[in-house]
Amino acid sequence: MGMFSESVDVSCTPEGHPVAVVWAGRSYSVCAEPVRWYERRQWWAEEIRAPLGSGPGLVDHEIWRVQVLPSAPGSGLAEQGEPLTLDLTRHIRSGRWRILRIHDALRPRTA
Amino acid sequence: MSFTHLHVSTAFSAHYGVSWPEELAQVAAADGATALACTDRDGLYGTIKHLKACMAAGLDPIVGVDLAVYDDDGDHRTQLAGRVVVLARGNNNGAGYRALCRLVSDAHARTSGKSGGVVPVAVTRAELASRTLDPQTLKPVLMVLIGPDSDVGRAMGGRRYLRPRTLFKQWLDAMPAGTVVAEIVSQLSAPGSPLSTAHAVRMLKLAEENSIPAILTNAVRYCAEDGAATADVLDSARTLKSLPELALEPLLQPNGQAWLKSARQMLQLGKEIISAAGYGAEDLNRLMAQTEALADVCRIDPVTDMGWKKPVVPEAAVIGISQDPHVELVQRCQAGVGRRFPGIAGTSEKEMLHRLDHELGIIQNLGFSSYFLTVAEVSRMIQDMGVRAAARGSGASSLVNYLIDVSQVNPLQHDLIFERFLSQDRATLPDIDIDVESAERHNVYHRIFERFGKERVTLMSMQNGYRARGAVRDAGLALGMDEGDVGDIAKQLWRFSASKFREALQEKPELREFAGRVEQRDSHGNQQLDLLVDLTERLDRLPRHISMHPCGVILGDATLLDRTPVQPSGLGLPMSQFDKHDMDPMGMLKLDVLGVRMQSAMAFAVREIIRIHPSKKEVVAAGGHPTGRDGAGPDFIAENGRIDLNAIPLDDEPTFELIRSTHTLGCFQIESPGQRELIGKMAPREFNDLIIDISLFRPGPMKSDMVRPFLEHRHGFAPEVYPHPLLKPVLQETHGVTVFHEQILRTLDVMTGCGLAKADEFRRALSSEVGEFRVEEYFRKHAREKNFSPDVVDKVWQTLKSFASFGFCKAHGAAFAVPTYQSAWLKAHHPEAFLAGLWEHDPGMYPKRLLVAEARRLGIPILPLDINRSKGEYRVERILHGPDAGKLGIRLSLNGIYGLSGTELKRIVAGQPYDSLADLRARSRLSKPSIKRLAQLGAFDSLHREAGGMANRADLVQHLQRLQNAGTGRKGIELVEGQLSLPLGDVELRNVKPGLPAPTLVENVRAELDLMAVDVSSHLMESHRPTLERLGVTTADKLLGLRNGTEVLVAGVRVATQTPPMRGGRRVVFISIDDGTGCVDSVFFHEAQENAGLLLFGTRLLLIRGTTRRTGPRGISISASMAWDLSRTETLPFPTQADQPADVPHPLDGISRTLAITGFSG
Repeated sequence: MGMFSESVDVSCTPEGHPVAVVWAGRSYSVCAEPVRWYERRQWWAEEIRAPLGSGPGLVDHEIWRVQVLPSAPGSGLAEQGEPLTLDLTRHIRSGRWRILRIHDALRPRTA
Repeated sequence: MSFTHLHVSTAFSAHYGVSWPEELAQVAAADGATALACTDRDGLYGTIKHLKACMAAGLDPIVGVDLAVYDDDGDHRTQLAGRVVVLARGNNNGAGYRALCRLVSDAHARTSGKSGGVVPVAVTRAELASRTLDPQTLKPVLMVLIGPDSDVGRAMGGRRYLRPRTLFKQWLDAMPAGTVVAEIVSQLSAPGSPLSTAHAVRMLKLAEENSIPAILTNAVRYCAEDGAATADVLDSARTLKSLPELALEPLLQPNGQAWLKSARQMLQLGKEIISAAGYGAEDLNRLMAQTEALADVCRIDPVTDMGWKKPVVPEAAVIGISQDPHVELVQRCQAGVGRRFPGIAGTSEKEMLHRLDHELGIIQNLGFSSYFLTVAEVSRMIQDMGVRAAARGSGASSLVNYLIDVSQVNPLQHDLIFERFLSQDRATLPDIDIDVESAERHNVYHRIFERFGKERVTLMSMQNGYRARGAVRDAGLALGMDEGDVGDIAKQLWRFSASKFREALQEKPELREFAGRVEQRDSHGNQQLDLLVDLTERLDRLPRHISMHPCGVILGDATLLDRTPVQPSGLGLPMSQFDKHDMDPMGMLKLDVLGVRMQSAMAFAVREIIRIHPSKKEVVAAGGHPTGRDGAGPDFIAENGRIDLNAIPLDDEPTFELIRSTHTLGCFQIESPGQRELIGKMAPREFNDLIIDISLFRPGPMKSDMVRPFLEHRHGFAPEVYPHPLLKPVLQETHGVTVFHEQILRTLDVMTGCGLAKADEFRRALSSEVGEFRVEEYFRKHAREKNFSPDVVDKVWQTLKSFASFGFCKAHGAAFAVPTYQSAWLKAHHPEAFLAGLWEHDPGMYPKRLLVAEARRLGIPILPLDINRSKGEYRVERILHGPDAGKLGIRLSLNGIYGLSGTELKRIVAGQPYDSLADLRARSRLSKPSIKRLAQLGAFDSLHREAGGMANRADLVQHLQRLQNAGTGRKGIELVEGQLSLPLGDVELRNVKPGLPAPTLVENVRAELDLMAVDVSSHLMESHRPTLERLGVTTADKLLGLRNGTEVLVAGVRVATQTPPMRGGRRVVFISIDDGTGCVDSVFFHEAQENAGLLLFGTRLLLIRGTTRRTGPRGISISASMAWDLSRTETLPFPTQADQPADVPHPLDGISRTLAITGFSG
């Protein structure tokens, strides 16, 4: 499992569920129902301000665990092969997406 | 679709909940909810506020508690097995609420009521089970929610399948059928962790398997997402661990999702759980429907379930009445007429009886007769105990109270209005406050419990919220900052609300240095300071803990404990979980029995006077009282010398002379720097002047400049002006200035004919903007109808508008003025006994050392500590020998010496007199350090002299120190070779080897300050005198001789620091210093504050430059321009370099008891 943080483009359904990811110039489509949760941030170390009325997203961020397959160029359809499991995070305040973790595809899901 | 939140902690869940009941109710109502629960942790602390908030928002309240449960398999006294939510069923005539109250009281019954107690607040499962059914009907009245924080929920982690099932079965076995519900919560935390959807699914399936209804909640801690960070800080404050530490454990909430989610969001949450469980739409509907069904059975009717606003007083039989209470009250009033108004006749009798009928009519209509009889009963009980008591507050406005001996003020004499106290239009139980001797307050409480029975009485509590200092400390703790650093910052925060911290950083000079550090965060990386400010603001006002209210006692009938949960107080008596704001909504009769130290001090003085002058004749001579024509002396002194303070004449000239001299340190209400200035200007001549003085000295009148016109008119500098001749009778006593509430009532009545009851309603309404508008409309319309000119109407309206909110109730003023006058009378006639009383009970605003200095100023000898003469209290003593022979002095008390325990003190006094140290050791079993400290304070000096020793105090201390170092520290008989307690005088003392130089005066004073916080041998400024002379400092006693506007330097030790609210909102700081010749009161305006900076609040010894400000014939103060720290010699403005003195020791060097010495812990 690799852990890092890199910006990605994610397209979502109207309900806000990710359906496709563009990462490092390649497109992937989500091939299974994604799992979503909220994880705490060490906001006291990461932020310099926390005034009243900061709104959502100070204490936690939204994590989506998605399984993706690379899209066939042009077709928008998924290619065959082992799916890749990614943890994506959406910064609640800016709406920007980043990749948080890439899971080893062969290891069983831990959840 | 609407959703009902059934698990909600309010801010009254101390160190847990974040949002106020009002916020929660408003948000819920705005989302379309029809009901909302309040389930505070460990108690019903927020319940009544929740009720009020729900009623205002149009919601049905639901009430419950979040409670810990003991582990049935563990130690019942300490081991817990998680928490459950318990909800009361509603619409059952209070059966549910009653059970809830009793259950909460059960949970607290074993705790100690003291902080740091080891027994947690919790119930056993058996207790919980027994409370869930109504004892009469055996129907379920409580519902128990087994959720994620229960033992079952906590066992959900990992892959244990059996454990949660076993635990859930145990609950089902223990609880009556129909009382258990499964609480499903997902806060969308990481899969498999607590509060995750996966755990919610397991709980849901468990409920399904056991055919137990499942309901959905969000275990709410805050109204909106924004509260999550505050919750983190509260978790840190509760556990006393920093956020980084908590995050490691991990003990923090998993994320920030515990907010009051909308119905739509809760439905979405339900969908996620149901779909993760593999269930279908029907199951989702069932989950949501069961939640609403539970909400429905728990809807509370505030009136029928909780007795909303229904006054309850003790049963007539308890107060010893067999007939109709009103008939009884009328009879007692009639009996009182003869006692209070002997020989009254004619018009005055008619007026008095008319007033009495008027009051009794209103009391009868409101059904409050039993209330008055109850208060009278308490009052009588206190007086029978021989304890000084005085009613205060608006209760003094009532003739009925005067006739039944509740109040000592005749409302007719002072023109007090009954409607200010009680009227037809105000159906809430009025407040009657009784001041008692502070030293007797707890005894009085115990007596009330005995008299009415413990099922009818409980103490009231109060909520203590975060203020700036506590908030910054806990915010610093959360951030893991250095405790010392945070402490230094906290010290600079003084008397402003934590919510204004960032604003204060910009404005307050003493915070300038800190503000600079906050701004420099980029260059130094100390970003924490910025966060510290934000988190401090977040904590502002949040309740921290509950404590015993300083005076409130709740009296009810035998059902009181069905209506309020109670918990032990530190005093050992039960305390309600409700505070003063909850009394009126719950119809609870609260009596304020306030301990007033001045009452104790005066009672002490009266006893000392008898002890020293045990006959009327001696008291008359000592106090300079008039002997009268027959030479028998005044009636208020009994033959044994006892002075009846309540009977002293209110026109005693020496008393008024003392008050006008402004030497009123120690006198009730008129000793503060501001009051000394005001009485200096006003020069009171009669009792009514004191009432006016006390009423004027309030933030409102001071702020709005009422005082200046009043004084100008009073002294005839400016003609009195009345808006209209008809108002002259109303305003005459205050020279045309509106001071009293009573005058506002009368003005409204005169100009609109509205009647006094309505007028008081109007006065109350004026404090809100909406109300003000309504009153203005009414006032203008009716005043014009009564032909007052538009001019007059305008003018009077302006006055009413600005004064109504802060004018003072004259009845309060009158009730206050009585002890003010009595204390001044004692100071004028019996200063030694009075000061001894003050030292003993420390009633005032100043450090005790200032009152010791006052004795020195008055020429009263201060007699040193003496092992054979000092007792457990201060005592007046006749001096037999020496230059002061014949005078009365005050002997220091053994009480209040650092390190001397209460039991040691008792044994010393019991064993007096002692003929040697060995005798003392043998019989008092003092510890060695205590003996050494007594020696340092000179307590053995006379014994030493009698023994004929050649050594001095330093030698003796050294001798004792050696014994202490050598010995085992064991108390009791000790073993200096050859020492037996034989009547030989003190061999040990006689044989102490001389050799050391005798301690200097400075060293002796330092020991006194260190061990007693009082400078006795000499004033602590004395050693600074040479420095001050070189600086050219003026002493307090010389100031009065200077012209107005003279530039001076003054110096002294801080004795008072005040920042009263001021007109225009700019802060003004008053600092008073004591230089041994008296007090210098200085005022620091904005610029001087800038100049003084940190010195303003951080220094004990001050040198101040300023100009004199004459405030009256006998008053002068200093308008400061600059200040220095006197203990930092190198910074002082000496005329020339050569003047700078060499460093010499001073008494305060190395002494850290700042609060006790300066009255300020800056």
